[in-house]
Amino acid sequence: MIATIKSEWRKNRFRPAFLIGSGLMAAITVLFYSVSWYQATHPGSAESPVSILSLYPSNFVNNAMAAGFPLGAAMAIVLGAILSGSDYSWGTLKTVLTQGPGRLTTWTGRVVVFMTWMGILTLVIFGVGAGYSAVIAATQNHAIVWPATTDIVKGLGAIWLLLAAFGSVGLALGVLIKQSAAALGVGLVYLLAVEIIAVRFVDGLNSGAYKWVGDLFIGQNATALTQHFAGRAVSTSISAEQAVLVLAAYIVGLFIVAGGLQRMRDVT
Amino acid sequence: MENTTAIVETHGLTKRYGSGVLAVDSVDMSVRRGEVYGFLGPNGAGKTTTLRMLVGLIRPTSGTATVAGYPPGEPAGLARIGSLIEGPGFYPYLSGRENLKVVADMARVSHKRVDEALDIVEMTSRAGRKFGTYSTGMKMRLGVAAAVLKDPELLILDEPTNGLDPQGMAEMRKLIREIGQGDRTVLLSSHLLGEVEQICDRVGVISNGKLVKQSTVQELIGDKGVVVKAEPADRAGEMLTHMFGAAAVSREDGFFHLKTDPSRSLEINRQLMGSGIAVSELRPFEKSLEEVFFQLTGDKQGS
Repeated sequence: MIATIKSEWRKNRFRPAFLIGSGLMAAITVLFYSVSWYQATHPGSAESPVSILSLYPSNFVNNAMAAGFPLGAAMAIVLGAILSGSDYSWGTLKTVLTQGPGRLTTWTGRVVVFMTWMGILTLVIFGVGAGYSAVIAATQNHAIVWPATTDIVKGLGAIWLLLAAFGSVGLALGVLIKQSAAALGVGLVYLLAVEIIAVRFVDGLNSGAYKWVGDLFIGQNATALTQHFAGRAVSTSISAEQAVLVLAAYIVGLFIVAGGLQRMRDVT
Repeated sequence: MENTTAIVETHGLTKRYGSGVLAVDSVDMSVRRGEVYGFLGPNGAGKTTTLRMLVGLIRPTSGTATVAGYPPGEPAGLARIGSLIEGPGFYPYLSGRENLKVVADMARVSHKRVDEALDIVEMTSRAGRKFGTYSTGMKMRLGVAAAVLKDPELLILDEPTNGLDPQGMAEMRKLIREIGQGDRTVLLSSHLLGEVEQICDRVGVISNGKLVKQSTVQELIGDKGVVVKAEPADRAGEMLTHMFGAAAVSREDGFFHLKTDPSRSLEINRQLMGSGIAVSELRPFEKSLEEVFFQLTGDKQGS
């Protein structure tokens, strides 16, 4: 297992897709802060006023959560699909699978490295958010006060869980479809359209009798988790605990399904 | 067939795809330790599917196989096998050396061996370049380097000269000969007959998924002979029948085909000339592997 993780890390540590993905997430965080800062210091430039207080370090966890979903989730789907799908299109899966480790060991090593990358992506979002908020506070001559460590850790965990869950969707689609482009396309369409329509339909069935089914969709739980941790107005009946459990179940379930597919299928 | 020395042994190996296509049909194949075995067949005959089954990438529908002492795909068996199946598969954004290190880590091989493998395929000076920038020949060489990384007992190379120019093909053949020296077994699949004839000790011919022949190249080509054209033909025929017997002499398009050792050409010439028969053509005859291949696979191009 260690050898497989080592090999997977070697090939993915400088992978352009991950480096570009991390750069994009950093850029999106910077853009979010820049626009908000402008709106806060230029009254009338936004439909609803933005308070400069919301951009200071004490609020950076909440702002980082906003970057994590849905943009971070979309990026995680793309990266997951690229990681697993490209091995089919480059013909590298056969190279990997003929070296010795079993198929499940290889799959586990890949998922471990992917989850590590989701952790790095989380740190990038948080790091850039913290840094920019400190710059704003210093520029505005405001004291730099950081959130409690437990809040930071909880926020990091929540974003990582969210990215890991959506990344697992990308990984599984890459294995299922055996290529990156179609997999990430399907993943993004699901995230941005299919689930929204499906949940609206399910929630409306029989006067809401099947709302519990709608509450099991991945996007609903991601939204709930973000709202709970960011301290925003909660528009869902899903508790933070349930959201954590459901997202974790998606990670485990998709790992088992995709791993099973990789183990059973012929590599042609 | 010599089970004790076989490194690859299959019995009734069959692969039928879900669509009903029978890609490999009851193949009984035996590759002996230390030999260079040519696996011949036209495109789509089932060569790659068979090789994929031998390394565990594809599960057979029925039949059994033992490769390097283990069932296909067993980690212990794969540790003894180096393979290049259907072209090299590497990460285009990594250098050749980094790609080999990825493979080495996966195979639990020391990175020191990476440099040795690069040296074997003469790629050391180009190992720092990204794989995506390599020419077809360089990609193939890196594929072979990955295959020899484990210093394997068995090397399985699937059409390693595919896409190479004539010079690249010659260099690859030389490389395979060098790698195949000593105790190492090489199982080489190809549809290039000249390639197999030059490199291999034994060959297996597969056609429409069936192994139609398995023997040494010499056995496959069959008896050698001599072709003679002489005048007057009637007297020449009598003389040659007298010398070799009726069974060894046949006539076709004005040429006599003699089933005899070509080293007797001088003697044949002397006898005919001594009897006042003019010899206009006398040459050794040997069926090419290509002719035999087309006979076995029923390909009309050969006729």
